[in-house]
Amino acid sequence: MYEKHLMICGATGCLSSGSAKVQQALEDELAKRGLKEKFRLVMSGCPGFCEVGPIIVIYPDEVFYCRLKPGDIPELVEKHLLGGEVIERLLYKGPDVDAPARFYDTIPFYQKQKFNVLHNSGIIDPENIDEYIMRGGYRAFSRALKMEPMEVINEVKKSGLRGRGGAGFPTGLKWEFTYRAAGDKKYVVCNADEGDPGAFMDRSILEGDPHAVLEGMLIAARAIGSDEGYIYCRAEYPLAIKRLKTAIAQAEEYGLVGENILGYGVNFKFNIKEGAGAFVCGEETALLASIEGKRGMPRPRPPFPANSGLWGKPTCINNVETYANIPLIVREGGVEEYVKIGTEGSKGTKVFALAGKIRNTGLCEVPMGITLREIIFDIGGGIKGGREFKAVQAGGPSGGCIPAEQLDLPVDYDSLTQAGAIMGSGGLVVMDDRTCMVDLARYFLSFTQKESCGKCIPCREGTKRMLEILERITEGRGEPDDLDRLQELASSIKDSALCGLGQTCPNPVLSTIRYFRHEYEEHINEKFCRAGVCKPLFEYTIDPELCNGCTRCARICPVKAISGERKETHVIDPEICTRCGSCVERCRQEAIKVTPVRREADVSH
Amino acid sequence: MKRFIDPCCEKCNHSKETPCKDFVECCTRGPICHESASCAGKRKAIIDRVALNEHFVIV
Repeated sequence: MYEKHLMICGATGCLSSGSAKVQQALEDELAKRGLKEKFRLVMSGCPGFCEVGPIIVIYPDEVFYCRLKPGDIPELVEKHLLGGEVIERLLYKGPDVDAPARFYDTIPFYQKQKFNVLHNSGIIDPENIDEYIMRGGYRAFSRALKMEPMEVINEVKKSGLRGRGGAGFPTGLKWEFTYRAAGDKKYVVCNADEGDPGAFMDRSILEGDPHAVLEGMLIAARAIGSDEGYIYCRAEYPLAIKRLKTAIAQAEEYGLVGENILGYGVNFKFNIKEGAGAFVCGEETALLASIEGKRGMPRPRPPFPANSGLWGKPTCINNVETYANIPLIVREGGVEEYVKIGTEGSKGTKVFALAGKIRNTGLCEVPMGITLREIIFDIGGGIKGGREFKAVQAGGPSGGCIPAEQLDLPVDYDSLTQAGAIMGSGGLVVMDDRTCMVDLARYFLSFTQKESCGKCIPCREGTKRMLEILERITEGRGEPDDLDRLQELASSIKDSALCGLGQTCPNPVLSTIRYFRHEYEEHINEKFCRAGVCKPLFEYTIDPELCNGCTRCARICPVKAISGERKETHVIDPEICTRCGSCVERCRQEAIKVTPVRREADVSH
Repeated sequence: MKRFIDPCCEKCNHSKETPCKDFVECCTRGPICHESASCAGKRKAIIDRVALNEHFVIV
């Protein structure tokens, strides 16, 4: 029996902030003191709060330590593990708490979350199938084996679960189509090709609770009558792939995968296909082509994969989070509990990745119907540096931006679509008043343009033309009818592109025009970027009323464009200034202003 | 018995070659096919070793 369990976040976020070094320091310290049999150390899944990593949660005390360094470990062992004393300086502190918070439930980041899909993440050792089973794992699959396929499908339909990968198609209906499709061979495919910039929900689920995804796929296989499945996971997720492989090997050893599973006469084999990272392979028909060894390009639908998918066989394809929801639904009494969460049209929870100018970056799981304001301000802690919230990009490059006026929008499939965005896979990129919405649209369109597979003309050529217009606008060469041209092109692409990538890629442009038209007009008509992002369209000037001559700006300027004596007003030479923004970050007086270009500048380069 | 896949005694035959339909339930509530305080204790020992607190096991 261990006296305490130390759950170190071993997910990619905390690993990149040094959790492996913290783990090593802890291993060494416990070994040095002969304490390895008293205290258990686990590299667990992600507890979500990436901003404050590396994180250790100590059980059964449930004390949450964050921002740990290897140098903190001797004190942690001495005082907490051996002395039973909580180390206040390692607890969570922030503007949202009055005093250091020692438990999960006293940290505002966690207070409005609802852990369903992530209920094991950070709690179990993801490489130990026994712990998954202790937490109720594989019980839903065992139950499904005793049920008729349509009984399983009806439970999924009754739950109201909609696909978590983007479009939100009802999962049970998709399963029924595949079940009813004629064919002696059927496939179950998991789309783990998470490609949206700033999104890492699926990666965290795979790293923290891989058996949940396997169990969801096994239940799908039981429902549609399949004996083989593929997990298509991008090769950039090596830890997720490693944990999946371990989980599959354990499930095989336990007789939960393979032949004659649990004596029910059904078989199932998992395959993992590592993707090369093309964004378009997140589109289901392109993904299937890639598994088949072909170039990852979409094809027209119908036929849909449910009727003709992998190698022309009926195929049920869902994303990681969708499958991870399935065991919660199919377990005994699961549907009844599941439908209690969410809204009428969007049941359950949704995992979001919080990124951008938000204070608490990380992963959160919230009930459908929660407002954007609650996610961004209560969970996310508001905007970094106390700046003003401007917009949030929901749904990645295929989604749209939602402005401050819509912060009270409930987060569900239908509300987001009405607002011009999409749920997408769950990426939320938050922007402050220093974000230029025209440049943002240009950035997302440049991403989708580069990722366009080139098969259909609307996407291949249309996005190129749209990008050229946006580049012109951000360089100060916008023309009065550019907005009409952009909208016309966007409309054509949405109507005629072959796949979901093409059909949705104009969304960031359309939503920014819809909510921030004045910024486009300012760029085009006044050649001014008030956010201070489009370099040819502004210059920095120092407000003499606010400057106190502290010299901080002059000292940080990499090109020595700022001059002035101590305690005297400083001046920026616009001819030398590269508009890098270092001085703005440094100035405590907020004396450096974004102003229109004063000279008749040649802004064409 | 260090893992749930290990047989608790000669009465347990579950393996991938000779599967038992009750295996998953048996891990946390077993043994199901026979009565044995010792075999139940072996399962509890596996759980007690890794359970973080009294709410850890979901029944």
